[in-house]
Amino acid sequence: MSADLEFENLVKLYYGDLYRFGLSLTGNETDAADLTQETFYIWANKGHQLQNAASVKGWLFTTLHREFLKTCRRRNRFPHESIDERTEDLPNVPANCIDRADSQTLLRILGEIAEDFRGPLVLYYMEDLSYKEIADILALPLGTVQSRIARAKVQLLRRLSETNLPVEQSK
Amino acid sequence: MNTGEAKEILLLYRGPIDDSDPQFRTALDYAKSDPELGQWLREQTKCYLTIRGKLRGMEPPAGLPEKIVRRRPIPFARDWSRIGQLAAAILISASVTALLMRWSEHRNRPFLGAQEILVTGEVLDMTCYIANNLSGPDHAECARVCIRSGEPAGIKTQDGKVYLLTGAPGQSINTELAEYAAKTVTIKGKQSLRDGFAQLQVEEIRKL
Repeated sequence: MSADLEFENLVKLYYGDLYRFGLSLTGNETDAADLTQETFYIWANKGHQLQNAASVKGWLFTTLHREFLKTCRRRNRFPHESIDERTEDLPNVPANCIDRADSQTLLRILGEIAEDFRGPLVLYYMEDLSYKEIADILALPLGTVQSRIARAKVQLLRRLSETNLPVEQSK
Repeated sequence: MNTGEAKEILLLYRGPIDDSDPQFRTALDYAKSDPELGQWLREQTKCYLTIRGKLRGMEPPAGLPEKIVRRRPIPFARDWSRIGQLAAAILISASVTALLMRWSEHRNRPFLGAQEILVTGEVLDMTCYIANNLSGPDHAECARVCIRSGEPAGIKTQDGKVYLLTGAPGQSINTELAEYAAKTVTIKGKQSLRDGFAQLQVEEIRKL
């Protein structure tokens, strides 16, 4: 298979997942598209260094997340809030309440979570990955990943519960 | 294990995807025996699926894959022999440029070794001397007229070397030199060289 065709197939296969990951991290469609493009361009230049073809998806996610953190440090414009070391009590948020939140509200609340915690949380929700795989993608110890997910999840649900979501219309 | 500990573990439980993960096994068993915890777990799983569905439902903009493919960078092939050739070409080019610049600088230098010397010889009308090889007492009158009228003057030493005589920058010395046309004098001045022509900037004239 030619390199061009291989690249095209790779883009078709993963651009959606990468874009959604980027959008959940940045909360911004343009930034998400830029991150997705940049990730594939890094692949075009460095992908040949990858020994194990089976880990392409993980490599792409790792690269996108790394680029996201780099962008955050450079721009320092994504709002973030440090998360308390201890796990807060999990608020009781009914699923139907969350269902009323639209994607933009969800992205806005995700954007208020510290960048280092956002990646693990988004991968936890979006991809069918084991915790070990999430840890590998983010190059973090398993325990760190799990504790970050737990703390970020509590914060996400707490913020969702505090948000004035539209009232469900009676049928 | 109590309910609080089980909740803390099951906070990360996502449903069937985590069923094979041993870290949840004990807590899941505990939840089976605690109806309240079981209800909490079901609600949590539903929350997880709801958020997941919303995040996964976000569609990329139309045309994104085509745009990525179209703007794909062409990877730089690391052909070391080509890189070596390119480096050698750059090195040679830089060396030639440096040599040319140095040569050009040398050519444009106004004076080479302006040095004060004493020269003894015959004062010449340079135009007649170079054009027609005319000098000496027989040509004295012509030389005097020519030098006075502004033709270049020179001095020819006994060993045959000829210098063009000039005044200080912007000043003509022809009137003084015309008096010594075809005569032997000693001139003190600053010697310099431009493009192979020797020049003497006159400071003092002594008639012998």
